Amino acid sequence: MTPHPDVRDDAVLLRAVARGDEDALATLYDRHAAWLTIRLSRRCGRPDVVDHAVQDTFLAVWRDARAYRGDGSVPAFIWGIGIRRLIDGIRRESATTHPPRMRAADADVVVSAEDQVLVGLEHGDLGQALAQLSPELRAALEATVLDGLTCAEAGVLLGIAEGTVKSRCSRARIALRAALAEQTRSAPTPRRQAWESP
Amino acid sequence: MTPELFDGPEPAPSAGWHAPVTVLASYAAGDLGNTYVWSIEAHLSDCALCRGQLSVHTDNERLARNRSVVLAMAAIPGARWPRRLARRLGLPDHVLVLLSATSSLRRSWLLSVVAVLGVVTGESLLVHALWPHHAGIAAYSEPAVLAPLLLVGPLLVLVGVAAAFVPSLDPGYRLAVAAPFSSLTLLLVRAVSALTAALIPLACAAVVVPGPRWLPAALLLPSLALCAFALAAATVVGPTAAVVTSGAMWALPVAWLTVTQSPLESVEAHGQSLCAVVAVAAVAVVFARRDRLEMRWAS
Amino acid sequence: MGELIVNGSTSARDEAAVRVGGLSRRYGEIRALDAVDLTLDRGITGLLGPNGAGKTTLLSILATVNEPDAGDIKIFGLNPKIHAERVQIRRQLGFLPQELGYHRHFTVAGFLDYVAILKEIVDRRRRAEEVARVLATVGMEGFGRRRIRTLSGGFRQRLAIAQSLLGSPELLVLDEPTAGLDTEQRLRFRELLSNLPGDPVIVLSTHQADDIAAICPRVVVVLDGRIAFAGTPTALADTAAGHVWTATQRDERAHMSWRDGDNQWRHIGDLPPTGSVTATPTVEDGYLLLSHAGGKR
Repeated sequence: MTPHPDVRDDAVLLRAVARGDEDALATLYDRHAAWLTIRLSRRCGRPDVVDHAVQDTFLAVWRDARAYRGDGSVPAFIWGIGIRRLIDGIRRESATTHPPRMRAADADVVVSAEDQVLVGLEHGDLGQALAQLSPELRAALEATVLDGLTCAEAGVLLGIAEGTVKSRCSRARIALRAALAEQTRSAPTPRRQAWESP
Repeated sequence: MTPELFDGPEPAPSAGWHAPVTVLASYAAGDLGNTYVWSIEAHLSDCALCRGQLSVHTDNERLARNRSVVLAMAAIPGARWPRRLARRLGLPDHVLVLLSATSSLRRSWLLSVVAVLGVVTGESLLVHALWPHHAGIAAYSEPAVLAPLLLVGPLLVLVGVAAAFVPSLDPGYRLAVAAPFSSLTLLLVRAVSALTAALIPLACAAVVVPGPRWLPAALLLPSLALCAFALAAATVVGPTAAVVTSGAMWALPVAWLTVTQSPLESVEAHGQSLCAVVAVAAVAVVFARRDRLEMRWAS
Repeated sequence: MGELIVNGSTSARDEAAVRVGGLSRRYGEIRALDAVDLTLDRGITGLLGPNGAGKTTLLSILATVNEPDAGDIKIFGLNPKIHAERVQIRRQLGFLPQELGYHRHFTVAGFLDYVAILKEIVDRRRRAEEVARVLATVGMEGFGRRRIRTLSGGFRQRLAIAQSLLGSPELLVLDEPTAGLDTEQRLRFRELLSNLPGDPVIVLSTHQADDIAAICPRVVVVLDGRIAFAGTPTALADTAAGHVWTATQRDERAHMSWRDGDNQWRHIGDLPPTGSVTATPTVEDGYLLLSHAGGKR
């Protein structure tokens, strides 16, 4: 029994969820659970904690859909809930830390050369500068900049103290600035930046 | 993230760029390096097409499993304020569910209790207003003023507690009996909550009614005694018989005292001591015979 | 598969999951159960008997909600007369009583949530998982927010079956589970029972012989508080071998007669008259013959 494809867009769906439409919730799940699961899995190595976070996220969407004011992207709204549920889940877990899954050497060996060009980072200034950062600095930056967490929340996610997060972020910024300055000095050709800063 | 209003289909990114399938597959598998991941995730936030593409590479069984849990959790009812109140009181949420399955804690029941008390209070006020006042004698010494409340009040509390353990008032009774959850815990939790829920409107009625100032407090012990006696009796005879006996043990003396023109005596000093003795004795019996309280299915 | 016990025989295996010996229960003057011996093993056993035969009493005793006046019971080696062991039995029990009541306000999911808590599933997430699982098992996904009072009889019965499956019990006691179900639903019910994971002990009651034939590999016939037969449905049918015949006219010598689907008269009696067409006995024939014999007592 294939359900009728729901062509309503996400904001309309959220309003329907706020009115108690269960099918709208199911549709939202079908659209967003996949990327949310994957994106959360990158921040936490425990699949069960991620599962709980995904469940709690959509439950929170069900209960608090009214909190969405229609003024931002729905994926960002969902991500904001999701990352915080993940952090709650990590806090609940006893004593174990869940650093984001990082590859040790950060070698992008599985991405072909064409794909790298397509992704646009290989020759991008910022991409190169980021690649030069150490994993811990990059993780701190990712948590605060990309995920939009506070330093306290980032600390829980990464399993480090809030102060450590702050110091790593500032060291990352210094290193990035230095690397970017270095690059503009050595390669004046304009590059296409595919990575937008939030 | 630049906030954008989406009222129609989401616009494609300005560069018309979409993530290559291989990159998405790597990302889904967790094999993509950090810098590429940042770019992909930023893009995915904006692009429904690539998000949809991602579903192809995800573990469908896992997604389906979480989906059914989400829908089940959404389907399970739970009003917000009871949940918040329970959390503040330190009550686990499953206790709330058990309480919500008690007839005498539902809004309809409580409204009926309020309605009955309203009628009784109204009658009391009316009689008090109509009765000629004699100097030096309290107006409420006229039996008709307070007798109804004295009679009905504790009985209402008793019936509320009865709903916690009398099979005919608990439709789900048969399942509770066959379940491992301790019947005694269930019963006590429900009885105490029903008691509290019924005492509140009773106390309010006792305040409104033209009676002595100590009346609200004076109704507490008789109500407790009645409920404790019913519980104790339920360890000996059936629950319905226990409740009826307990009710009669209150109604008959109060009726008698009303006839002899002094219903208030039921809650004055002697009455209170008697109730205290009954309550203490009943609690002791309940404790001693608590295994018998385990609900039996009387067919 | 388990050993079958016929009244009087004592050849039951020691590892039988449920053993009942000399069970008696009376209500005033009425003897609901009279010295019943029974053994149950993994798999489905059907209790067949007319209303008032004692099936419900027996099931309620097995479900630990009723106490016998005399006799022993051992369920998974536990004695329900001892409180602590009774609770242990209940942890592994799923029960469908004959008339399941619901609070007026209950939704499907709310009710299942409540029963899950009664079964000591306290964690919120596990409860949701169990609720989702049993709803899927009985084919009622998406019914979560429906109020039970808006459901038809068939769906209410499915819900009642669903609640008995919460917690994946080892012992399922089902009193008239097929009541109110149409043919298609009965088929689905049979499928459901056969596909339950873990191979629990299932005992269900019915007063319809075709339920037994369709669902139960073992049948116990209960008449007037006693066990009249215990064995396979085929064996039950065979007890009527030679006692069933068809004719174009009604035969007064038969114990029972009725018109069958081919507009012939089907008779059950002691001896078919010579020259009549003997019919292959069905489970129902065996049951009717037994109940007639029992009625003469």
